[in-house]
Amino acid sequence: MVGEEQKEDSPQWFKVAITDGRKYKKPWLLSSIQSHCSVPFTPIDFHYVGLRAQFFISDASIASALKDVSDKILDDNSQKISIVVSPTIVPNCERNKLKPEKMEQLKVAMKKRYLASHQALDLQSFRFDPILVDHGIDMILNRKSCMDAALTIIEEDFPELLSLNLRNNKLYRLDSLSNIVEMAPKLQILNLSKNELKSAWELDKIKGLNLKELWLKGNPLCRNYSNNSTYVSTLLELFPKLTRLDGLELFSTLSCGNGKKKLPVCKGSVYGSDTLKSLIWQFLTEYYYIYDHGDRHVLLNTYHDNACFSLTVPFNSDDGVLGSLNLYSKSSRNMIKIKDSVPRTQLLKYTKTEIVDFLSALPKTQHDLSSFVVDTCVQTENMFYFSVNGQFKEVETSYLPHNCDFTRIFILNRTSNSSLCIVNDQLFVKDIRFDEPKTDLLIGHIIL
Amino acid sequence: MDFKTYVDQACRAAEEFVHIYYETMDKRRRVLPRLYLDTATLLWNGNVVTGMDGITNFFEMLPSSEFQINMLDCQPVHEQATPSQSTVLVVTSGTVKFDGSHPHYYNQNFLLTAQSTPNQTVWKIASDCFRFQDWSNN
Repeated sequence: MVGEEQKEDSPQWFKVAITDGRKYKKPWLLSSIQSHCSVPFTPIDFHYVGLRAQFFISDASIASALKDVSDKILDDNSQKISIVVSPTIVPNCERNKLKPEKMEQLKVAMKKRYLASHQALDLQSFRFDPILVDHGIDMILNRKSCMDAALTIIEEDFPELLSLNLRNNKLYRLDSLSNIVEMAPKLQILNLSKNELKSAWELDKIKGLNLKELWLKGNPLCRNYSNNSTYVSTLLELFPKLTRLDGLELFSTLSCGNGKKKLPVCKGSVYGSDTLKSLIWQFLTEYYYIYDHGDRHVLLNTYHDNACFSLTVPFNSDDGVLGSLNLYSKSSRNMIKIKDSVPRTQLLKYTKTEIVDFLSALPKTQHDLSSFVVDTCVQTENMFYFSVNGQFKEVETSYLPHNCDFTRIFILNRTSNSSLCIVNDQLFVKDIRFDEPKTDLLIGHIIL
Repeated sequence: MDFKTYVDQACRAAEEFVHIYYETMDKRRRVLPRLYLDTATLLWNGNVVTGMDGITNFFEMLPSSEFQINMLDCQPVHEQATPSQSTVLVVTSGTVKFDGSHPHYYNQNFLLTAQSTPNQTVWKIASDCFRFQDWSNN
């Protein structure tokens, strides 16, 4: 044994410490250092200690190159980042690293515990696994060197890992799991039950995981919570995607106090103020008077030079539309149906002339102002924006008239001389299918 | 930026936003308020809700939902209306089933405002207007 040690080249180890490194995210920090460093380097055991970030390097020339990077990198606040390099003894992570033969046995033991159909790895009570015991491998997962070994195998052999069970492994802290997000990025289910975790904030160390299911019962931390909803909300804050905790569906347990939730009562139009109400109604009355009875080109000057307009119909309702309303479906800019960016730009009418030309081509209408429900969404010094839900009729067609539901959104700009112009206008038309036309009328139309 | 770029940006923002919004509304309701600005206003079938506390409370009290979208459109909002604030109008429509009620058709429109951080642009809701299509027939 002694002889073996003498034969080995013992590398010289260096500790590389980044002052105030805790402030910076690991990927950014390492890539910034690499971009300023003349040689490539592989950091060993990167972790945060107090306010610092540090890692180890086992090559003197690389250590020297890293020393030169100090004060060369500027952070987002233009502060220089200092790097201190010092020789050190063999770091613990290297010293305690499992020898290759033991890693092989560890791999065998872990593969036996892996359920491929569920992408699930069961490491509960791992220390007492018969294979490990037989080979004298003491997997105390609370120790960084042991957990690192397990995580290395996970990264290599089970990269798509979805579920990990660490139940009953005497875990006091989760520091050893801090790089689990890199090693098992797809992990969704984690069982930490029956361990020795004293505080839910241990989980802060792994909050990068997108956990959907978590088990924590049987840890001392559970006794800290007399109120179940505080327990749940603390965990939801750490893992917003969590849907199951300790085996229970979360949202069903989050019901508020007494009785089922009910929908709020629906109310009528919202105006914000009486002044705005009259302004909006004046606008709507004038606009629709022209729109329904006059030449729609007259609306030219109600629009801003560079106004936008688009029109949509619902998906699946634009098949089999007859007659004049076919123009609505041809011009529909429903992005659920239209995916390509070229038609998306073309179908958006831009400039007042284009808009008014298009509107003039649409079928004649008769809007029912008494059906209008107005929602005034925003009002500022420069603009106000409201939506109108209501009905209109198609008139002067050979088919039986039909009521259409529409929603129209107007964004109006207030100019300095308190005149209004439309900058954005969006129209959504529903129920554009017709009732069945009379047969002889239909034939007459086709002969023409 | 030329007009086509504005339009493309608006389309991308709208699609991404709508995907996140309805999934969050249906499956992770608790974190939905995070999509809203602190100063946002919500109009829900004529009910006016303002402020983060109000909005958080509102969504907590709303029964669980299942949304289906049949229509999506968006427009870049003209600069003159919202100076120095990149804004997008997003319009959607479809059906929704709230727990305990029959399904409804709905119309919804949002005004999204860009909040830029060094790495990315995040769009947040400045205004949200929601109405059942058939409310007047109730």
